[in-house]
This record gives sequence, structure tokens and C-alpha cells, in this order.
Amino acid sequence: MNDEPKISDSQQSAEPAAARSTVPMWIFSLTLVLIYLGAVYFDHHGGWFNPQVYSPYKNAEELDSYQPKSGAAEFIAQGKKTYDMICAACHGPDGSGKPGQAPPLAGSEWVNAKGDRRLAEIPLLGLNGPITVKGQPMNFSSGMAAMGAGLSDSDLAAVLTYIRSSWGNTGGPATADDVKAVRAIVAGHGAINGEQELKTIPE
Amino acid sequence: MNGNVNSQNNLSADEIDASCRVPLLALCNCAALWLALGLALELLASLTFHMPEKFGGCAWLTYGRLLPAANDLLVYGFAIPAGLGVMLWIFARLSETELVLPLVPVIAAHIWHLGVFIGVVAILIGDSTGFAWLEFPRGSSVLLFAAFLLIALSAVATLGARRERALQPPHWFLLAALLWFPWIYSTANLFLVAWPVRGVAQAVIGWWFANNLIFVWLALVGLGVAFYFLPKFAGRTLPNYFAQFAFWTLILFGTWLGIPQGAPVPAWLPALSSVASALTVIPLIVIAMIFGKTVCGAKVHCKGGPFCYVKFGTVAFILATLMLIALGCPHFSRVAEFTWFAPAQTQLQILGFFTIVICGAIYHILPRVMNFELPFPRFVRVQHWFFILGIAFLILPLAIGGILQGIKLANPSFPFANSNDVAIQFLRVSTLGILFLLLGSLLFAANIFAMTFKWKIALLKSGIAAVTAPLETSEVKS
Amino acid sequence: MKTGFRVFIAAFVALGASWCGFVLAPVLQLGTAKQETVLNSSDTYPLQRTGDATLGLQVYRASGCAACHTEQIQQSGVACEIELTSVGKNPDAVEKQINAVFAPSPFFGVNFITNDQNIPYGGPPSIDISHLPQIILNHLEKSKADAVVGGITSAGGKAEIHIVATGADISRGWGIRRSVAADYLYDNPVQLGSLRVGPDLADVGARLGNANWQLLHLYAPHSVTKNSAMPPFRFLFETKKIGDAPSPDALQLPKELVPPVGYEVIPTDDAKNLVAYLLSLRADVPLYEAPFTPPQVSTNTPANKK
Repeated sequence: MNDEPKISDSQQSAEPAAARSTVPMWIFSLTLVLIYLGAVYFDHHGGWFNPQVYSPYKNAEELDSYQPKSGAAEFIAQGKKTYDMICAACHGPDGSGKPGQAPPLAGSEWVNAKGDRRLAEIPLLGLNGPITVKGQPMNFSSGMAAMGAGLSDSDLAAVLTYIRSSWGNTGGPATADDVKAVRAIVAGHGAINGEQELKTIPE
Repeated sequence: MNGNVNSQNNLSADEIDASCRVPLLALCNCAALWLALGLALELLASLTFHMPEKFGGCAWLTYGRLLPAANDLLVYGFAIPAGLGVMLWIFARLSETELVLPLVPVIAAHIWHLGVFIGVVAILIGDSTGFAWLEFPRGSSVLLFAAFLLIALSAVATLGARRERALQPPHWFLLAALLWFPWIYSTANLFLVAWPVRGVAQAVIGWWFANNLIFVWLALVGLGVAFYFLPKFAGRTLPNYFAQFAFWTLILFGTWLGIPQGAPVPAWLPALSSVASALTVIPLIVIAMIFGKTVCGAKVHCKGGPFCYVKFGTVAFILATLMLIALGCPHFSRVAEFTWFAPAQTQLQILGFFTIVICGAIYHILPRVMNFELPFPRFVRVQHWFFILGIAFLILPLAIGGILQGIKLANPSFPFANSNDVAIQFLRVSTLGILFLLLGSLLFAANIFAMTFKWKIALLKSGIAAVTAPLETSEVKS
Repeated sequence: MKTGFRVFIAAFVALGASWCGFVLAPVLQLGTAKQETVLNSSDTYPLQRTGDATLGLQVYRASGCAACHTEQIQQSGVACEIELTSVGKNPDAVEKQINAVFAPSPFFGVNFITNDQNIPYGGPPSIDISHLPQIILNHLEKSKADAVVGGITSAGGKAEIHIVATGADISRGWGIRRSVAADYLYDNPVQLGSLRVGPDLADVGARLGNANWQLLHLYAPHSVTKNSAMPPFRFLFETKKIGDAPSPDALQLPKELVPPVGYEVIPTDDAKNLVAYLLSLRADVPLYEAPFTPPQVSTNTPANKK
């Protein structure tokens, strides 16, 4: 065997590492860059450890959007979308209201009334304060504009159905035909002024 | 030549080598036999594609049994015991002591090879567990586990007896491997065979085990051996910090590979594997740099000897890891998954990298341990060429054929049969590659068996001489 | 890295991390899974296989079928179809709403709307009012599909969205949705496979559900599939002398494979169990993780299919 090995590093006493054997900085930077990119990839494609998310779905919301929904659930989901866009700014995304700005909707007796006509008139016409909700008298610096006047019948019905069935509320659904009928009745009226006038409207 | 007397210690390299003799022979003799047998079974398995009718009548010759038997023989029959044998010698040499508890690996070797034999027969009669790389049944795996622990005991004891307390890079890799295998093997057997978990979790654990055995464990032992021999042969020193960085990143990132991208499991599992395969680029780059720094420019000619083997094997490792990283990329995996590309990668890792590195190491170690030259020294060079040709003819067509097959599979306008027609041409060439590898392994076995035979004859002769020698008169009682 | 103890700790931490991630977590998450409910139905899924099929799984394992066949369908995307069911009182308004989705972009007058596979639309669909319900659009993203249906509904029409899984395996007819964990709940051992020398088998019970075909295919694959790469599995069959009467199990073989006169080829129990297992392989119900709209008997061709 002619390739008799020379004494290797391992059979001598430990030598100081040569300067050029220091790991260059770019490898560390590359490692950090790859770790960051990997984290981004996992965020987009990993479904965040959800056992129901399989590729090609990226997350639980996307998977949920592809589920077949019954008509009612779809309607309420549509109402939620509109509510979040228009109403949540003042009434809160959880219907808890903002003191001085908007009364709560969660548990409100006005929302849970048996019929939906009185409730439908509020977004169609607008409402000025004061109003007592859940036993609490409330006053507001400015009133509510007719936020629902510009919505279509089915959109407004969806919002009403949503708020009447969320956050513990027990009111029944509202249909587009109901809203259409109320719209016809109140055509040309101005905003409702205070609780006194509100109480005169049939439920 | 063979008497490196270290002036600081009493032990010469000869004595250290001699203490490793019996354990090494016990492990490597049967390992060489299993290597040849495994390659022969792999040849048979690939022949079933070219002449299917001849193999239709016997259950033992169906592809689904031949291939797992061949694969397990290559890994459990040759790779692990031969790797452990080389590890014991490296630990003894680096510790500058004799092998501690030398009888333990000898017993363990017999237990191990018995387990392999039982396992292979079980697969061929249909008693496999059904999990890739874990097909040996319960009884066999208990034997293998026990034998591994015994060998690890001797290795750790030898390590503990070292004179130079600082550990070298080969130590880290080999020591980590000693922890790795028992953990993954026991987990896989407990969760898949003994008390099987429910549903697709079995597949996930199976993939974890396969990756940690075929990629990580073979990488740890193969690189540990390569990082011992490359500096030794090239006359250079291994860059220590690079090796540390490679070790850390390899074990941290490499262990998370293995989940296929389109698998029927929640998306977070393949996503983690995908991220890990991107990160595995780091240890790959560092290992390539270590190889470059240690080997390139070294004015040592290898002449088809062990240095050539270890060099080729390390380059094969770099290529195999590149293929594995590519499989972790979702876009490439969409084409290459379920094709011959993945088997090409594992065969490159096992045969191209590990087998070649270990064969080179054994060719260096065996003459020193036995204290006489190889019976057929020319075989080393011939085998070297057989192995290179064999790997080239086996891996390249499988990889290319796999990608072409994948392109056809990914396009639904091609009927399914087209993908097979494309692949079969390449399979013919890869069968030739396996034949070359088999011939090379027969040369390897010839050398080892002849050495063992010569030694046993010498033992017998000296035994007979000792028995028939005249006694010293002072010992005879009147 | 001076001491063996530190190396041990390093290896322990590294392997322990991946053990937690790929052994412990999947066992806790997937290994404790229970049956699921099929979408829009009260059926549970999966059902336990029959005894024959369970034995057949062991034959599948023992013969190493997973070496060449996979049992996992892949899905590369999901898309929506729109089925127009009614145009209401105002068909022109409905058509206008649909076409509004295809209004050319203000920039170059080019229609930039593409579907999830980046196939641009040639133009708005043509609707044949006399043949409703009709699938008018496909390969849409969910948000676009919702927009179209919203437009149709506000114009007084009615339309449904159908969810369709897309991918090469599905286009090839190997399955109707991707495979998910629930498909393997009762399998032991799970035989997912990793190589497709042969076609995928996850839904083979729905696709090739004829036991006789399966038996013949096992005995002589070339006789039923030209260019088959599958070797014959003759050891699963016996060639026996015909007794008093031919056995009802005897295979009906083509001319060139018929045994000598007086003999018949009978499948062994292993063959029968294996075929029972293959016939039990189905993955064709919609689940929460892999929703799709089960196909109904369709009466109209899609007007704008690409």
C-alpha cells in the first residue's frame, strides 16, 4: 500500500484552528435568510397545524369558504359581511356598542322584538337619541344616519337576520320581502326622534 | 511501515489494530456476503421488469418481495454492520487504546447477522411488516436492536478510555449516529409494529424513520468515516469550525426531511419538510466546502485505492443530498414524486455514497488489522471501476427516466401506459448498472473471505504448532 | 464540541425536536382521529372493511403491492362551476350580470380574468335558456364565482356553485378528490406506496369494481391491459383437475391461457381476499377536508368548457 497516510490532525495534539478555517459570514447570513423565507412559506402553506387543512387549501378560512352552505347560513354570512363593513364601526364587531356613540345590539330588547318592522325602520330612516337599552338610559352626541337606506332589500334583511341571531340574540330572521314592505310604508319619512317616537312604531 | 510507534504512549498502532481484528472480521465477513446477496436480489428484482413471465409462478420471486429484501440486505445486512466495524476501528485509533470489551462486538455481530437472516427469509415468505425500510418482523428487529446496543457499548467504552480528551470531528458524527439508530429504530418498531398507531400517522412515522435512517444515519456515519480518512489520505487537516457547523446544521435540519409533498396528511407536515429541505442546502454547501478544502489541490494520487473510494463517495453524497433537496421543492416534487427519481436518490445514497466510502475504509483498515497485504490487491482498482460504472449506469438512467416518467404522469392527456414505456428503456440500462455493482461486490467479498481464510489457516497452523511443540522440561512435574 | 456529553445533548435535542414534530404530534393529532361525517349527509366515514377485505390487505402487504402501486390521490387545486338553474322573469338582466364579470379591462381592452389554472376566458358564455339547468362557467375561483352568483341572484335568477377538485390524478379518472387521513383510519398497515409503476389504487373499487376483471388481471395482466408492466401473479391461483362439475370460481380465461382439457384455474383464498380488498378501496365521498359537489346526472354540456 503506497498511500501510507501521514499523521493526521487527529493523532497530534490539538492544533489551533487556522484563520482561514473560520466559517465565512455569508453562510450565516444565508442560513438566516433561508430561515426567514422558510417561515414565510410555512405561514402561507402550512395551515398553521390545523388538522383539517390539506393542500391546495392555504388556511382554515379558505377551506371554510369552499364548504357547501345551507341557504340560511349563507344569508347570515352575507349579513355579517355587510354588518362588519357598515355597522361595526359604531356598534362594535360584537354588538356591544360604544358609549356615547351607539347603543349595544347584543341582548337589546329592540333587536329581539317579535316582529322586525320596528327594527327595520331604524336603519331605513335613522334614529336620534335618547334611548333606553337593557334598562340603561343612553344619550348620544349625534344620531344614527339612515345607514340602511342605500342597501338593497336582501342586503338589509341579511344584516337584520345576522344581528337578530348573533351574540345571544333570539330574534327570528328577516326577509327581503319584509324589508321591501317596510320601505314602502316609510317612504318619505324623516329620522325617528327618540325613544318616544320609536315606541309608537308597531313591532 | 506498519509500525507507527507513538513515542508518547506504550501502544503501537499494530496493537490497537490487532485488538480490532476479530470484531471487524465478525462484522465485515457476513456484511460482504449480504452486500453481494443484496445486489443479486436487486438484479433479480430489476429483471422482473424485463422478463415478467419467468417470475410469475413463484411467490418468492415477485418484485414486491425481492425489492424490500434487497434494500434491507443492503442497509441492515451490509451498511450498518460494516459501518459499525469501521467506527470501532476509528474510535480505537483516535483513542489510542485497544478496543475495549472486544468480545462484545463479536457476540453482537453474530446476533446481528442472525437477525438479518431471519428478517430476509421472513420478507421472502411474505411476513414483512409492510413499512419501507422496516420490513423485518418483530423477532428480527429485537435481535438487531440488542446487537446494536452491545456494539454501541463497546464503542462508547473505547471512546471513554481515550487519552486525548478533546473530540475530533469524526467523533461527533459517529457518536451522534450511536444515539440516532436506537432511538429511531425503537420508535418505529414500537409505534408501527408492536402497538400500531391508528391511520395515516403510521405513514408519517414511517417517513420519519426512513429519512432518519437512509439520509441522516448513513450521512452521519459515512461523513464521520470520510472526515477521518480524507484528511489522512490528503495530508491536510480538516477545518474544524466548518465541520462543527456542518454537524449542527445537518442534524438540526436534516432530520425534518422526508414527508412527500402531496401526501394525504394535513398541510403542515409537508410544509415543514419543504422548509427543512431548503435549509438543508446549508450543511450541503459547508460539506462541499470541507471536501474542497481538504481534497482539492492535495498532490496525492489515489490510483484506484481507498482514497479514490472515499473521494467518489463524498461527491456522491453531495449529489444525493441535492436530489433529496430537489424532492422537497413542491414544484419539482409535482413532477418527480412517485417516479423512479426517488429510488434513484436512495440508491445513490446507499450504494454510491455509503457503500463506496465504507469499502474504501475497509480496504485501508483490513491489511493493517490483519497485518498482511490483501490477497488480491489488483481487485481494489478493478472494483473501483466496476463501482463507478455501476453507479453511473444505475443512477443516471433511473433519475432521468424518472423525470420523464413524471412529466408524462403529470399530464393527463397522456395515457398512463406512456409513462411506463418511457421508463422501461432507462430501466434496462440501470439493470446493467446493478450487474456491475454486483461484480464489484463479488471482488470485495473475495478479498475479505480470502483474508479471513488465510488468517484462520494461520491460526490453525499456530494452534497445531502450539499443541505439538515440545514442552519445557521445567514445566513437567516428575 | 469538546466532550461526548455535549455531542450527546446536541444529538438528543435535534432528534428529539423532530421526534416531537413528526412522531408525537401526528400521533396526537391523527392517531386519535375518529370517524367523520360525510358532507351534506349523516353518513359516517370511513366504514370498517369487511373481513375478506381486511385479510386482503394482509395479502396486499405480503405481496409487496405497495412497491409499484400508490393509494393516494393528489389534488393540485380546487375550482368552482356555476350551474344556472333559472333565469327568473328577466333573462336579459341575468345575462347582463354574467357578462359584467367579463367586462374588458379599462387598460388595453383585454380581458384579464383568468381562472385558477391561468386559462384565460375566450369570452362570456353563451346561455341556452331552453336547456336549463346548465353549467355556464367552470374553473372559477371562489370569490369570482360568488360575484357571478350574487349578480345572477340580484337580477332575479337562480344559480348554484359546484365545487370541483382539479389535478392530474383527478383528470385521469383515478379519483374525484384528494386522499385525506380519514381514508386510512382503519388500515393496518397503511399501504400508501411511493412509486407509480402501476396506476393509483385509492379509488379502484369505484373505477374497476368488477371482481372477475380483477381476478383475471391478477392471473394474466397482459390479457386485460395491453403493455402492462405488471408481472403475472399465478401463485395466487391453482390449476386443478375439474371434479364432478366445474367450480363456480373458475376463471374464464382467453384462448391462449386456457389450461389443458380437464383442468380449471381457481383463485385461492388469498386471491379472493385481495380482490375483496381492492374492491373496497373507494375515496368518493365529500368530506370537510376535501369538499366537492357530488356529480348529479347532468343533462347539458358546459357551454364554456376549456
